[in-house]
Amino acid sequence: MADRLLKFSSSPHVKSPKTTRQIMIHVCIALMPAVIMGIVLFGGMAALILSLSLVSAVASEFVYLLICKKSFRQIAREFDFTSCVTGLLVGMSIGVNYPWYAPIFGSVFAIIVVKMIFGGTGKNLVNPAVTGRIFIFMSFQAMVGAWVIPNINSITGGQINSGATILGGLLDAKNPTFPTLSNWDLLLGTGLAGCIGETCKLALILGGIYLAVLGIINIGYPVIYVAVTGLFTVALNGFNFGYFLPAILSGGLMLGAIFMATDYTTTPNTTLGNIIYFVMLGLITAGLRQATHMEVVSFAILFMNLFVPLIDKFVLPNPFGYKKIKKAKGAK
Amino acid sequence: MKTNFKKIATDGVITQNPTLKLVLGTCPTLALTTMAMNGIYMGLAVTFVLICSNVLISLLRKLIPSQVRIPAFVLIIATFVTLVRLLLDKLLPDAYEVLGLYLPLIVVNCIILARAESFASKNGVIASATDGLFMGIGFTLALTLMGAFREILGAGAVFGITLWNFQIGFFSSSAGSFFTYALFIAIFSLVSSTISKSKRKKLSRLNGENLTAEV
Repeated sequence: MADRLLKFSSSPHVKSPKTTRQIMIHVCIALMPAVIMGIVLFGGMAALILSLSLVSAVASEFVYLLICKKSFRQIAREFDFTSCVTGLLVGMSIGVNYPWYAPIFGSVFAIIVVKMIFGGTGKNLVNPAVTGRIFIFMSFQAMVGAWVIPNINSITGGQINSGATILGGLLDAKNPTFPTLSNWDLLLGTGLAGCIGETCKLALILGGIYLAVLGIINIGYPVIYVAVTGLFTVALNGFNFGYFLPAILSGGLMLGAIFMATDYTTTPNTTLGNIIYFVMLGLITAGLRQATHMEVVSFAILFMNLFVPLIDKFVLPNPFGYKKIKKAKGAK
Repeated sequence: MKTNFKKIATDGVITQNPTLKLVLGTCPTLALTTMAMNGIYMGLAVTFVLICSNVLISLLRKLIPSQVRIPAFVLIIATFVTLVRLLLDKLLPDAYEVLGLYLPLIVVNCIILARAESFASKNGVIASATDGLFMGIGFTLALTLMGAFREILGAGAVFGITLWNFQIGFFSSSAGSFFTYALFIAIFSLVSSTISKSKRKKLSRLNGENLTAEV
């Protein structure tokens, strides 16, 4: 009631002008450079896959809510753009040579099973987009084989025959094959085989800076993740710093670090918890890459997402006004 | 003492379904449900062992001292499992091959030990045999349905007959088996809770009570 003088409301009394819907629209905008670069590099098929995954993600959320007996108008009014972001990310994290139905299955799995069954936006246990990507990877990878080289400026060696990315050749312990690609190619994604949205690192970084400037994500956390991954790869390869740039500029690390690992729902609540989370992500990513010669960013994120409740249990936020009581020296 | 056979039957298949309600015997359930036929093989083997061990334990229930009952039960179960292994090896070598390690592991299967402990050692021979039969049917049904679900989605076939050339590899992987198991438990609980709710409503209407006030 608007005309009531005394208002009662439950606990979140401090309000932020940012709504979930606005934040998610900003994330969509931040994804746009990478989407456009993906379509430029991989052609019409990329556009088809992206639109299929986007439409099926949004449609499956609507269908689920309609089954839950909500009216169409109410759903449209409450619609936050999280499922758009999920759909786009699922589409961006697969290659163009996947069958056309793969993104649909991935999106539907991500939205219905991972998000809606657990209670909708903000209640999911793990990141829907990451899980959707893993679902597609486990289901259709055998059909696909190697990744596709984009149609601009193809360079031989951009695609190692069986591996997902150049990482496979790079991390082979016995005879490491350094890529014929320069770090510039890796940054721009020209001539590089890979997923639609993750070859052009510059576009992803631009999106990340956009989000950081708007205060939507804390840029420190993705930087921690990327830096730890690079440094641990260097350390695992006998402190050869030639590995640093290729390690951080290849594979899905940028996409995962900027857009997937920073999901609000699946990160810890405290600063210390977040630092633990992102350092662990980096260590797991670099270690598993070294061990499996596969791209493991999505698996690392899924794995660490499951650790978030545990981190939140042990790293508690300081209550307002709390000061640490200093222990006297010599006290046991 | 009069035995309620109808209750034993519904307990075994529905209200205390060993796989979907009691969540027992998860190891063979997760590992063997890639194909519907595996479920039937495993289910029949377990049913056979369950009936035989229930009967024998029920017969000996007054002779076995309660301090050593678990070793005695395991001994009886192991005897029948060895029998099943030898029979399957001779008669159905395919099934023997498919079930592999999970066949000798029936010895430590929770369902059989649980029924021996909680039912056969307290009830008469005929009641125990019926309990073994229906528990086995419940287990077989659950495994076969899960196997069929995973086979249709993961391999595009059912009972080895190819339906279409379309596969979602996730469902034949081990992650898919956990997922399928959870999905089946959720659906089963949903259906059974809906049924029991509607039963309670009917009863309350008969008695002229108002349950909504209570809730």
